[in-house]
Amino acid sequence: MEDNQEEVLEIFTQDGVLITTAPATYIHYLNNVGTLLIVEYPNSNLTRCIEWKPLDLTIDSDVQDQEWTVVSTVERRRTYSGSLPVDVNRSKHLKINMNDIKSFRVSHKNQKLTFRDGKGDNVCSFIFQHGNCDGLIAVLKGILKTIVSRRDKHVYCILDDIKNPERQQLDKSFAELNLFQEQSSAYVWKFVKNFPNRPYEATMEAFSKITDIVYRGPEHRLMDSEVHNILHRSLEAIENNTTTHSHDEYELIAHVPRLPALKEYPRGRPLSFEQWKALQDSEGQVEDVEAVKLVIFRGGISSNVRKEVWKYLLDYYRWKCSHAEQQNLIKQRNEEYFIMKLQWRSMTKIQEDNFTDYRERKSLIEKDVNRTDRTLDYFAGDNNPNLQVLYDILMTYAMYNFDLGYVQGMSDLLSPILYLMNNEVEAFWCFVGFMNKVSSNFDMDQAGMKEQLQHLHTLTAFYDPEFANYLYKHDSANMFFCFRWLLVWFKRELSQQDVMRLWEVLWTDLPCQNFHLLICVAILDTEKNILMENNYGFTEILKHINDLSGNIDISTVISKAEGMYNQIVDAEHLTDAVRLIIGLPILGNTSIVDSKEASPDISDLTTNGDTDEVSYENALTHSFL
Amino acid sequence: MATRKKVLLKVIILGDSGVGKTSLMNQYVNKKFSNQYKATIGADFLTKEVIVDDRIVTLQIWDTAGQERFQSLGVAFYRGADCCVLVFDVTAPNTFKSLDSWRDEFLIQASPREPTDFPFVLLGNKVDLEPRAISTKRAQQWCLSKNNIPYFETSAKEALNVEQAFQSIARNALTQQSQSVDLYNEFPDQIKLTNTTNRNSNGDSCAC
Ligand SMILES: Nc1nc2c(ncn2[C@@H]2O[C@H](COP(=O)(O)OP(=O)(O)OP(=O)(O)O)[C@@H](O)[C@H]2O)c(=O)[nH]1
Ligand SMILES: [Mg+2]
Repeated sequence: MEDNQEEVLEIFTQDGVLITTAPATYIHYLNNVGTLLIVEYPNSNLTRCIEWKPLDLTIDSDVQDQEWTVVSTVERRRTYSGSLPVDVNRSKHLKINMNDIKSFRVSHKNQKLTFRDGKGDNVCSFIFQHGNCDGLIAVLKGILKTIVSRRDKHVYCILDDIKNPERQQLDKSFAELNLFQEQSSAYVWKFVKNFPNRPYEATMEAFSKITDIVYRGPEHRLMDSEVHNILHRSLEAIENNTTTHSHDEYELIAHVPRLPALKEYPRGRPLSFEQWKALQDSEGQVEDVEAVKLVIFRGGISSNVRKEVWKYLLDYYRWKCSHAEQQNLIKQRNEEYFIMKLQWRSMTKIQEDNFTDYRERKSLIEKDVNRTDRTLDYFAGDNNPNLQVLYDILMTYAMYNFDLGYVQGMSDLLSPILYLMNNEVEAFWCFVGFMNKVSSNFDMDQAGMKEQLQHLHTLTAFYDPEFANYLYKHDSANMFFCFRWLLVWFKRELSQQDVMRLWEVLWTDLPCQNFHLLICVAILDTEKNILMENNYGFTEILKHINDLSGNIDISTVISKAEGMYNQIVDAEHLTDAVRLIIGLPILGNTSIVDSKEASPDISDLTTNGDTDEVSYENALTHSFL
Repeated sequence: MATRKKVLLKVIILGDSGVGKTSLMNQYVNKKFSNQYKATIGADFLTKEVIVDDRIVTLQIWDTAGQERFQSLGVAFYRGADCCVLVFDVTAPNTFKSLDSWRDEFLIQASPREPTDFPFVLLGNKVDLEPRAISTKRAQQWCLSKNNIPYFETSAKEALNVEQAFQSIARNALTQQSQSVDLYNEFPDQIKLTNTTNRNSNGDSCAC
């Protein structure tokens, strides 16, 4: 089990380092002295990070919960690689992924070091109170390919990670080309000539080649003075052009792999009473569960069998049980429910007074029950007895799963179930089944929601890089505007009838896991023209999306999402990151944690090397500033 | 008076779940109270044009969810606020106790230029209900200890004092904005700026 431990390799440490600039989430560390480290996580595709920890490690424990970036990194690792315990203290350090750093600047007699991102913004800076940062620079030069900027000799630009496999590949192929040994000047001139026409391609191509030369030790540089001059002139061209061109110019020439065409997937008829009975044997067992699910996925469930089928979909009934076994189970569950209900019902006043957590939950539930679907006849009016049932179920659920307790949004998930079952115990167990599917939405640290927002971004970026890029430029790559959709599975956007239809379709887990994310992508795809034509920013996008409530045609959306699913699955450039989200086996030729894998498209489009995850995390960070 | 630029003022309403943030906002903007409002999920805002000292300003009033675990999302919306409205329920002592943490959290996350001068307004809501748990005096004392925050006792249900409170909110927000415009160009060096404010000013940025 030991090798499951997250391995951390400290490449460099230095004490007595004062932090003077940091991303906003870490501002509480500013002007503190601590230890600076460069560490490597061998289990995470050699991810390297700059970390800094304060001298005293007694940090307020709730600080971490507010940091989306940190938490999401941890969460991802947990989800993808099983159960890697993460050193609690370490997760609280200031931690910056080396991939986000594109340059660093040395100043104040080598006592100050500032790291910058691809946009030239300062990410963090440190003052070395004991000695200077020469040791660290030497280490950085060892692990990164750097060149001194021609504009400012104190600035080191990071070219690319030496260990990056792609980079090695490039090095190798260019070495084989024997660049610069013959006709080198001709090559450089070709680059300079090409630059105005194809700046992005020419730069990417040539820059790698040129740096290759620069990086070889002087003894290997077979450069005559002419080549030397040309090289410097072209470097200058790169510097001038790459920094002054806006992103837009690159988009035009970036190569975006195409998806297959969107095909129509008409919706089918709902599962009928006759079909349902035909699929059960005389004992009541359902043989071909997949067949049932397929019909439900295609067309939902008719209202006259919905109540019964939901019990199966929500794991209250077992597909492979005889009527007799079923009856037994029901009896057990019935007793269990009333035992749990009695637990809170028998709480005395004094017990309650001494039980803050319980009281808080109770008061939240009271407030929310009064605010749940009061416009529906079923819950309308004062002293409606159904409100009491809603309350009792939520209270009992809080006893059933005290760690989770009650979180806002849960009453929304219960409401259609109770409405359909119209029976306290059945509604409770069906609600438990639903909660088992979505409980991570309600995590204390919101890790589940963050992960979903990120997955949604990854899918959007894969499906429509141009739109993802639009969102990125309009401070919306964090996808916060979809929060409500995801938290309660469109409950607030759809009528009771429509939400029931959507949920039963999603509960089939067809055609893939996380299909609800594709529902989001489908709706966004329908809205994106409005968003982009009006040049909506963060605020307007949120408003527009919120105002869609009540105007979504769910059948059209489901069939579009199915079409998109098929486009994605058939795409030749389907990435492991996307495969992982929709539950396809990953190919494994690139590591999951490799952020490049998440979406090559967006990295092409944003040109500063920002990859999907990086831009997503940037977006998260920016929104906290 | 010559034509003046239209002003947009961003106001954030914060407070524990159920204190009446959504109800107050709707009472002010739509002149309606309904007990059919739902608990807020995520965030939303309403806008309203108002006249403050002869000027037409647009108030953009943001309402976020009050439950603690959704705070990490809410902070995304604090940025650029011109005034922060803190709400508690005068019949629920816990909601009053939370005010300090709401205020601190706002100051940390929105990091306004002059935290001590940033305008807050406190609303004690549901004064139509009995029994009172937090007296006027106690609330006023808290306000005094926080650099004299204006305090209003409101009822979203009975439309009591809501108009007056938001007039004051608008005026405070306007003052804040006109002051911060002058300071716009000198952000502190320590805090990393948003990409929108300094994207084009990378005169000394890396040249690679
Ligand atoms: N009697 C009375 N009830 C009120 C008043 N304001 C709000 N309420 C009720 O208090 C409950 C909560 O009100 P909301 O406006 O939804 O509260 P909120 O602060 O927006 O809550 P979250 O969205 O959960 O953060 C609702 O049932 C309202 O009807 C008031 O002034 N008087
Ligand atoms: Mg609300």
